[in-house]
Amino acid sequence: MRLAVCLSLVPDPATIDVDPLTGEIDADRTLYIMDPADAAALELALRLRGEGDTVIALTVGPAAAEPVLREALAAGADGALRLWDESRSATKPAVTSLLLATALRNEGLPDLVFCGWRSLARGSGKIPALLGEYLDWPVVTDIARLEIQAARVHFHRRLARGDRSEGEVTMPAVLAIAADGVRLRYASLPQLMQACRTAIPMRDLPDLGLSPLDLSFPASTVHAVTPPRPRPRTIFIPDSSLSPHERIGQILSAGAAPKSNTVLEGSPDEVADAIIAFLQARGFLEQPA
Amino acid sequence: MRAPKPTDHFDVVVVGAGPAGSAAAIVAARAGLNVLLIERGEYPGAKNVSGAAFYGSAMLNKLIPGWWEQAPVERYICRRDVILISPTTAVSLDFRSASPDYAAPPYNAFTILRPKFDRWFAAQAEAAGAFLLTSTVVDGVIKERGKVVGVKVRRDDGEIRADLVIACDGANSFLAQQAGLQRRLETHELSLGVKEVLGLEEAAIRERFNLSGNEGMVLEYVGAITDKARGGAFLYTNRNSLSLGVIAQVSSLVETGKRPYELLELFKAHPAVAPLLRGAKLREYSAHLIPESGWEMMPKLVASGMLVAGDAAGFCLATGLYIEGINYAMQSGMAAGEAAIEAHRVRDFTRHTLERYTELLWPYNVFTDFRAYRHAPHFVNGERLQNLYPEMAAASFERLFRVDGNAKQKILPLYLKAMRQSGAKPRHLIADLLQAARSYLW
Amino acid sequence: MVMTTHEEKMRTVRFKVAEEPHIVLDPEKCRTCAAKACVCVCPANLFVPLDDGSVLFNYEQCFECGTCFLVCSKEGALRWTYPPGGFGVTFRES
Ligand SMILES: Cc1cc2nc3c(=O)[nH]c(=O)nc-3n(C[C@H](O)[C@H](O)[C@H](O)COP(=O)(O)OP(=O)(O)OC[C@H]3O[C@@H](n4cnc5c(N)ncnc54)[C@H](O)[C@@H]3O)c2cc1C
Ligand code: SF4
Ligand code: SF4
Repeated sequence: MRLAVCLSLVPDPATIDVDPLTGEIDADRTLYIMDPADAAALELALRLRGEGDTVIALTVGPAAAEPVLREALAAGADGALRLWDESRSATKPAVTSLLLATALRNEGLPDLVFCGWRSLARGSGKIPALLGEYLDWPVVTDIARLEIQAARVHFHRRLARGDRSEGEVTMPAVLAIAADGVRLRYASLPQLMQACRTAIPMRDLPDLGLSPLDLSFPASTVHAVTPPRPRPRTIFIPDSSLSPHERIGQILSAGAAPKSNTVLEGSPDEVADAIIAFLQARGFLEQPA
Repeated sequence: MRAPKPTDHFDVVVVGAGPAGSAAAIVAARAGLNVLLIERGEYPGAKNVSGAAFYGSAMLNKLIPGWWEQAPVERYICRRDVILISPTTAVSLDFRSASPDYAAPPYNAFTILRPKFDRWFAAQAEAAGAFLLTSTVVDGVIKERGKVVGVKVRRDDGEIRADLVIACDGANSFLAQQAGLQRRLETHELSLGVKEVLGLEEAAIRERFNLSGNEGMVLEYVGAITDKARGGAFLYTNRNSLSLGVIAQVSSLVETGKRPYELLELFKAHPAVAPLLRGAKLREYSAHLIPESGWEMMPKLVASGMLVAGDAAGFCLATGLYIEGINYAMQSGMAAGEAAIEAHRVRDFTRHTLERYTELLWPYNVFTDFRAYRHAPHFVNGERLQNLYPEMAAASFERLFRVDGNAKQKILPLYLKAMRQSGAKPRHLIADLLQAARSYLW
Repeated sequence: MVMTTHEEKMRTVRFKVAEEPHIVLDPEKCRTCAAKACVCVCPANLFVPLDDGSVLFNYEQCFECGTCFLVCSKEGALRWTYPPGGFGVTFRES
């Protein structure tokens, strides 16, 4: 199995300081890091890598972006590739994803492409979507967990309000990872040293067989903006049968029931039934049909 | 960069990419030695704090000719003030020089910012062929049969072997302690420095400090700024910011219970300081220890397979007038690098051969200066110098300049009166003058 | 502004927090420590004495200066090391 991970070097939000004198962002004080969502994507890819599998890290950026690839190599990526068009100083998501898709084709298409989802710098999440479009592959976003069985990826998606959904997609596919708690592994000494001295290959437009024209996208125009309708607020009404003191407590806790402990007793089976009934009553488990 | 294999054996491993470590790495790598420079920060300088006035321009010019043209320097120093402070008054000694020794290449001194300067300096070591490994902390040395044979870093498979380990790990000097070269340090041997960088427009800096172009100024304060804690304060001009800080002996912080950052506020609010800071905005707060006992806290500098340089060896000169540590760190680092070359030539890294390092510390002016100033730390941190004399000086000037309709008095009677009022004893004064003379004059 | 509170000072410093604390206190030893010298010397103000005699400590905003280790006179009360390489404080201008 061949896995590719798209990484980006982004400003650490904790170091974006507005110069109090000029009111401008103080570039001198900005430090760059591997996007945390990308780091989680890389870590999941490395965890999935089995015997004979490879993980390749890619980034679109100038030479100053190399550290993000070295970090990936140090963590254990098998290869790294930097893509860049020297005539630019920055890229739009459309250009970034076209460069990535072209490079992936040229280098031999992988089975899965990993990206970070809702990353710091491109929170719009356009890159995975556009990559899917250019590669003509399915895209799954918001992945919190995944497993691979045969040529199928079984995933857990994170939805709004803490909901989850599960699903499957067949390879090849673009996977956008949103695994909050996942940290990139700490590199071993030999791997770190190896990564420091590796020369990182670069592909520019001619290498990729692209012409500047391929990258000139019409500027996008915003036609209309429809902000999501605010959900009606449910106003909590305290239970009038309670004492004023308890009602105030209820209002202050926004209706969350005061902690009450019920100690269940009985045989394990009885206790299990009681717990399930409790969960069903409060909507944590579905009622049996 | 040379390309050693991960399992490679290095001729020299230098721990810490501060001024001492990078200087040692530059010297050794230029001679063709296979050098690994290890730094725990994300980049060299990320963990480092100084004033910073760098007084070693001419010395560094020998190592890297015209260094100030490529290095991130702030301003060259042509004005120096020493200011005695009482809670309400300040008496200052102003030194300004347009002499070529100060105002023309190689200049006398520069203000610098360590995170920028150290990064540049370590890059010079890389350019010389050293392998710079950042984000890696050394946990200790590896010893075999009484000899240091490498270091252990906190990563998987983290053993690195080398003929020689040069410990340039700064004030805490854990490596020297772990190798049995240094004892546990005492609270009166180190000072804590707390510092702020305040942004201020270039034009305001020039105007307020009476500077033109890239001229810079350093101001050192003694007296009431540290309240009853023993120490001093500084204010340096950078290109478009000010560096200021308070330095206090750790034992006296414990005794007085003073919070270091409150001392900083006290200093900034002093009537002699506040006007200089008007409109400046805080950019960064930082803190670091300073070894201040010089000669007395010096560890054993040499073991088989190991040398100690820079702050780790206590080579930081705190004379009360100013702190010099960066230049001595570089000088001792260079001496260590040279000792490494000589040991490598004869393939002998035993203590006996490496003792050459302590000989080299004389021509590199490290030992010479530290011996010359060996009495200064005691003098500077003496109670009377810290609190009594600045107060007396301030009080007598205050009286001298006051025109209140009373008859004028000459200075000496005024001073004697101030002395009587403040409870200073003539015997003490004479003893202190003698000690001052011994510390600074001969 | 020129004059700043301690919180304002700390906000100007960048920390990359490691998962494991690099400084660990022994609560029993701190409880019986009369001096509590660590509390006043720490430039990051990370030691908070509590009413019951114990000391609350959070390693996340530590300058790694070593002052607490230097002043702690109770053998073994304060275990001190640097954070793993690349983590901890990162000064940008000092
Ligand atoms: C507030 C203040 C003001 C000062 N003002 C001045 C001044 O104006 N002029 C002057 O000349 N001096 C000044 N000094 C002193 C000066 O900062 C020091 O003397 C100088 O930094 C010593 O250099 P060094 O290379 O020995 O140590 P450091 O600069 O401390 O460098 C040690 C390096 O080793 C690294 N390190 C430590 N342990 C490990 C480990 N286990 N593994 C890997 N890496 C490690 C550190 O991250 C660091 O980069 C001042 C100091 C302070 C605190
Ligand atoms: S850390 Fe040390 S000084 Fe601080 S309370 Fe505990 S024992 Fe006392
Ligand atoms: S090392 Fe320094 S900053 Fe960190 S807790 Fe100790 S005293 Fe505070």
